[in-house]
Amino acid sequence: MAEGGGDLVITGLVKLFEGGVRAIDDVSLTIARGEFVTLLGPSGCGKTTTLNCVAGLERPDRGRIAVGDLVLTDMSRGLVLPPERRDLGMVFQSYALWPHMTVYDNLAFGLRLRRVSRSDIASRITATLDLVELAGLEKRYPFQLSGGQQQRVALARAVVAQPRVLLLDEPLSNLDAKVRERARFWLRDLQRRLGITAVYVTHDQAEALAISDKVAVMSAGKVLQYATPTEIYERPTTRFVAEFIGRSSFLRGSVVGVHDGRTQVKLAGSGSLLTAVPVGESPVTGARVVLAVRSERVEMRGGERENVVRARIRSFVYAGAEYEYILDTPEGELRASSPRPVSGPDVSVHLPPDAIVVLRDEDA
Amino acid sequence: MTGPSGRGWSFDRPAQWLLATSLTAVVLVPLAPILYQSVLSDRLYERDTELTLVNYALAFGSDELRATALATVGFVLLTTVLSIVLGTAFAVLLTRTDTPTRSVLHDIVILPFYVSPLVLAFAWAILYGPSGFATVWVRSVLGLPVWQLYTLVGMAVVAAVYYVPYAYLYAIGSLALTDPQLEDAGRIAGAGPFRTLFSITLPLLRPAIAGASLLTLVSAIELLSIPLVLGSPVGVEVLSTFLFATASRSTPHDYGIVAAVSVAMLAVITVLVWLQARITGAERRYVTVGGKAIRGRVVGLGTLRWPVALMLWAYVAVAVVLPIVGIFAQSATAFLSPLIDPLSVLTTDHFRQIFDQPAYVGSIRNSLVIAGVGGLAATAFIGLAVLVTTRSDFPLRGALSYIALYPRAVPGIIVGIGFLWTMLLVPGLGELRNTLLALTIAFTVRFLPIGFGALTPSVLRISGELDRAARVAGATWLTTTRTVLVPLLRPALASAFVLLFVSFVKEYASALFLVTGGSEVIGTTMIELWRQGNSGPVAALSATQLVLTLVAIVVGQRLLGARLRG
Repeated sequence: MAEGGGDLVITGLVKLFEGGVRAIDDVSLTIARGEFVTLLGPSGCGKTTTLNCVAGLERPDRGRIAVGDLVLTDMSRGLVLPPERRDLGMVFQSYALWPHMTVYDNLAFGLRLRRVSRSDIASRITATLDLVELAGLEKRYPFQLSGGQQQRVALARAVVAQPRVLLLDEPLSNLDAKVRERARFWLRDLQRRLGITAVYVTHDQAEALAISDKVAVMSAGKVLQYATPTEIYERPTTRFVAEFIGRSSFLRGSVVGVHDGRTQVKLAGSGSLLTAVPVGESPVTGARVVLAVRSERVEMRGGERENVVRARIRSFVYAGAEYEYILDTPEGELRASSPRPVSGPDVSVHLPPDAIVVLRDEDA
Repeated sequence: MTGPSGRGWSFDRPAQWLLATSLTAVVLVPLAPILYQSVLSDRLYERDTELTLVNYALAFGSDELRATALATVGFVLLTTVLSIVLGTAFAVLLTRTDTPTRSVLHDIVILPFYVSPLVLAFAWAILYGPSGFATVWVRSVLGLPVWQLYTLVGMAVVAAVYYVPYAYLYAIGSLALTDPQLEDAGRIAGAGPFRTLFSITLPLLRPAIAGASLLTLVSAIELLSIPLVLGSPVGVEVLSTFLFATASRSTPHDYGIVAAVSVAMLAVITVLVWLQARITGAERRYVTVGGKAIRGRVVGLGTLRWPVALMLWAYVAVAVVLPIVGIFAQSATAFLSPLIDPLSVLTTDHFRQIFDQPAYVGSIRNSLVIAGVGGLAATAFIGLAVLVTTRSDFPLRGALSYIALYPRAVPGIIVGIGFLWTMLLVPGLGELRNTLLALTIAFTVRFLPIGFGALTPSVLRISGELDRAARVAGATWLTTTRTVLVPLLRPALASAFVLLFVSFVKEYASALFLVTGGSEVIGTTMIELWRQGNSGPVAALSATQLVLTLVAIVVGQRLLGARLRG
C-alpha cells in the first residue's frame, strides 16, 4: 500500500451543473481503509459525478476529499489535485483500455511514469496478470480479448501501481448476465486479498448488495442512506430506498399508539389495525405513516389472527423460483411472492410485525 | 391470402436494376474510351486505327513526363504533409485545449472547404504572387526579400491550405468518436495533460491521420487549378496540367499519350483509394465498447493560451482571411497595390465587364441551373442509390456501392475527357455535346462519392426495424422507401443537396473538355479570363461565386435545415 493510505473522507461535497442544478448536494461519506463501498442510485443521481470528483476528473464547487492525511480536494482553499497526482486506480465503464497498446503496455504505462525499474515492471505485471488469471496474454491487443478478459485487464491496470484507492465506475455493466454474476464474486475476492479501499458505482441494486461492505443509496445528488447491505434491505429509512431496492408494497395509515416498543397503525382504507416493530425513533401517536412490506415477507397461508388483511388475487406470474402475485386489498395494491401456488381468488394475508417498516409519510 | 400489394410481382426489382444499370453506366462507360484509346495508334474516332502499345512506350520513355511525374510526387507529398500537420494540430488544439476564440477559429479554418481551389489560387496570386499586394508591400515598403509563390513549394502551400479542412474534419470526427475515458484513464494512471496528449490522444488519431493523408494524396494528384494558375505560367508542370495542355492540343499523337497517362494515373489512384478503404476498415479496432458520448476534457494551456491563439490566428489570417479579402478588394479596384490608396481607384468596371457580357452572364446562369436543377436530380439519384445499397435485398448491392464510390479514383479532367470521347464514339450521344445535361451527368459522377458519404451515415442511423415494419405491414420496397425512408431522410437529403449545389458551383475540372460556345460554367470562364491576363474580372467572378456559395449555405441552413460537414 502506498504511503498516505487511510480512510477516504468526503465532506460537504457540492457540484453545481449549468443552470444551478445540484448534481451533488452536500454529500459526506467516510470510507474506512480496506472497505468496499458502493454508491447506488438511478442514473442522474450524482453517483458517477461523486466518483469523478474523488478521481479529480471533475471539480466540485464545495467540499473536501482526503485519503488519510493527504488532501485531494479542498475547495475552501481552492485545492484540486490533478488526477495524475492522486495515486488512484480506476476501472471505467468502457474499460478504456488503450487500443494502440498491448496488454503489457497498458499495465506498464503507469509504472513507467512512476519510474519503476524495467525488471520490477515486468515482475509486477506478471504478478498482477496472474492475480486476474490472465497470465500469458501480455502481447495481445485489447480488441483481441473477450469482454470479460478486457474487464479483468482494466482491473489489473487499475491495481498494478498499488494505488491508495480503487475507483470502479459500473465495471460490470458491459458483461453478459452470467459472466457478471461470477465477476461479482471474483471482484470481491480480489479486493479482499489486496486489502484495498474500493469505491464502486452501480445502478444495479443486486450487485450493490452482493458486493459491498457498505452501500450509499443516492438520489437527486443526496445520500439517502449509508449502511450495510442488510440494513439497507431490511431497514430502509425512506420510501425511495425501500422502493429502489427489492420489491415492496406501501400501505398508508396513521399511528394510534405505541406499546412495548410496538407501533399500532390504523390503515387508511379498511381501518384494520396492524402492529409493527419500529426502526429507530418511534413515531408519535397521530402521525401519518407509510408501511413498507417486502413481497417475500408477505404470508398467504392464512390461519393467523393478528395483522391480517383481506385480499383478492388480481394476477400472478410464475417466475421459476417463486410465484409472484398482485393482490387487491382495501388499502390498495399489495405485492406478494410465494414458493408455492396459492388458491384464490380470495386470500387472507398475514404481515408479520417484524416485516413491516414504518416510514414517515412524505406526502402528508 | 396475398399481401396488399398483390401476388408476388412488384416494380421493386426493375426499379433497382434500372438504377444500378444507369449508375454503372455513367461511372464506368466513360472510362472505356480512355482504355481503348490508350492502345490505339490514331484518334479513337478515326477509321484506320490499329492496336498498339506505342502510347505507353512513349509515355513511360519520355524524360519530360518522368520529370513531370516526379514533380507531381513532390507536390503531392508536400501538400499532404503540410495539410495533415496543420489540420491535426488545429483539431487537437481547438477541441482539447482552452485556446481562446476557438469556435471562431473553427469556422475560419474550414472555410477553404467551401471555396473553389481555383478561387483560392487566384486569391493567393493576387495577394502573394510576384506582383501581388503583399509581395509588393514587403519588397517595396519594408524593403525585405520576398518569397516565390510561383514554384512547386508555393503551389504545395496553397494546396495545403485548401486541404487543411479535410485533415481537420477527419481529426475532429475521430476525436469526437474517441472514448474520453481513454484520456481519463491516462490521467488516473499518472500522466499529465501533455503526456496524455502525446501518449494517448495523438496515437489514437493515427487511423484518421492515415485516412486523411490518403484522401489528400488522391485529391492532390488530380488537382488542376492551383498548378494551372501558379505553376503553368512559369513552366512548373504536374501531371494534371500536362494532361490539360496535351489534351487541349489534340493531335493524334496527343490522344494516345493522354490516354496512356490517364490509365497510369487511374491505376495509381485506384490502389491508393483501395488502401484508404482498408485503413478505414482497420479503424474499427480503435472503436471501443460503449462509453458515454461526452466531450473530451479540455486541457488548460495556462500562460500559453494567448500565444497559441495568436499563432493559429496568424495562420488563418495569412492563409484564408487575407486572400479572400484580397479577392474582393481586387474585384472592386482598378489597380490593387500597396503603393496606391485602394479607395482612390474604386471601380465597378470588373463587375460590369462580367455582367455586360452575355457569354459571362450565361456561364453564371449555366452554373446555377446545373447546381440547382442538376443538383436536385443528383440528390434524388444518389439518395435512391444509397437506399438500394444499404436498404434493399438487391443482389448486387455490395458491388454497386463500390462502383458508386469509385469516382474518387477518377481525376476530374479524366472524367471530362472520358465523357467527351464517349460522346464522340457512341452514335447518337453526339447530340449531348455542349448541353447542360452532359455537364450535369459528369458533375454527378464526380460527386457521387461525396453524396454517398453524406447520406450513408444518416441512412444507417435509421433503425432497420422501421422498414421491416413497413414491409411486414404489406408495403413494397418502393412504397417503404417513399413513405418511410425518404420522409425520415428529408433533413439529410437537404444537407446533401446543399453540399452538391456548392460542389457543382465550384466544379471546373470535369467541365473543361465538355464546354464550348454557350455551355460554359463559372469555373471554365474564370480559367479563360485568367489566361487572358484579366485579374480584375477574374476577381469579380470569383467574388460572385463566393457570394453564391455563401448564399446557398445560409439559405440551405435556414430554410432547409441542412447541416453541412464534409
